Amino acid sequence: MGLEFNATLLAQIVDFIILLVFLRLVVYKPLVKVLGDRSEHIAGNIAAAEQERQEAEQLKAGYEAEMRRAREQTQEIIQKATKAGEDQALEIIENAKNEAGRIKDAALAEIEREKQKAVAELREQVATLSVLVAGKIINKNMTNQIQRSMIDNFIKEAGELQ
Amino acid sequence: MLSLHEVEQQLNFWGWPANGSWELYLGNTHLTFNPKTLIMTWITMFLVILFGIAATRGMSLRKPKGAQNILEMIYEFIRGLVNDNMDPKKGAALMSIVVTYFIFILFSNLIGLVPTLSSPTADYNTTMGLALCTFVIIYIFGIRYKGLGYFKHYIQPFIPFLPIVIIEDFAKPITLTFRLYGNIYGGEVLIAVLLGLLGGWAHVFGGFIASVVWLAFSIFVGFIQAFIFTMLSIAYVGQAVADHH
Repeated sequence: MGLEFNATLLAQIVDFIILLVFLRLVVYKPLVKVLGDRSEHIAGNIAAAEQERQEAEQLKAGYEAEMRRAREQTQEIIQKATKAGEDQALEIIENAKNEAGRIKDAALAEIEREKQKAVAELREQVATLSVLVAGKIINKNMTNQIQRSMIDNFIKEAGELQ
Repeated sequence: MLSLHEVEQQLNFWGWPANGSWELYLGNTHLTFNPKTLIMTWITMFLVILFGIAATRGMSLRKPKGAQNILEMIYEFIRGLVNDNMDPKKGAALMSIVVTYFIFILFSNLIGLVPTLSSPTADYNTTMGLALCTFVIIYIFGIRYKGLGYFKHYIQPFIPFLPIVIIEDFAKPITLTFRLYGNIYGGEVLIAVLLGLLGGWAHVFGGFIASVVWLAFSIFVGFIQAFIFTMLSIAYVGQAVADHH
């Protein structure tokens, strides 16, 4: 049995060409379009992502610079505040010292004045008492004026003796 | 144990005319057709078209699924082969032809594994038809990209190479034809032989295992042969359009 090619061969070629034309029109055209669209879509997405990344980096750099600046400002403000606080504290202390000195001086003056007053009063009383005592001891009536001058002299002498 | 002829008769579910043929007279020309091959080809074409339409109906750009995925996979795989073998610009025109080769031959090979059906490619008329298409395409592409200079390679580097190159040219379609035909026809014959050899009670005791194994292997062979035919067609055309001659 040899090989016998017959008209089936031609029919098959025609069949294949029909199938080819049909698939090309109905199947491959939309398929190629979808594949092309997809690769375009992906390329577009990648490009967009790249761009967004760059933008994000720029934003990040901007924010970082701003943050650094803010931090520096904060530092400055804190330093200023600290300095101001210290100055104020010194001032307050100074004022307090002055005030205290003033109060002390006033108090000392007051004390001195009270002392003077007390001494004067004491002197007075001592004089009165002495007149009484002297009157009783001597039992002799003198005029009040004479007694008084005598006692005053006496006390003066006693004060000078001290 | 049945003979191959008897098995074929028993499998003749659709009532193919035994050794039948369709005759057609066009004037003085007498044309003979193999009805079984033609009908199976039409069924295969119908299935391929159905697959193509199913794959391209409601195609999704972002999330392909089902038949679209398979078609895209085949298309991109073959595009990879074409781009490996030639300049993508030249290859673009070849794409639809070789993808059709692959899908049509694959469906042809697989349809023969369905009981009572047979492969269009188990007839050397079909495979020769496809191989002649490749043969013609080689020349079309060669002349399109090199003009008449394409024929210079017949006498390069020396004129005595002419007969060798001519033989090589004719060997291409012939090897394409008989590689595909032999594999698929052989597979179908073995299916029938296994059915006849291990018929009757043998099947009850595991005789069907041989058939199952062979059917599984035939699926593999179907894919491989479709791939080889496509690949070789691409390689031949790639040779014809290559610039280094």
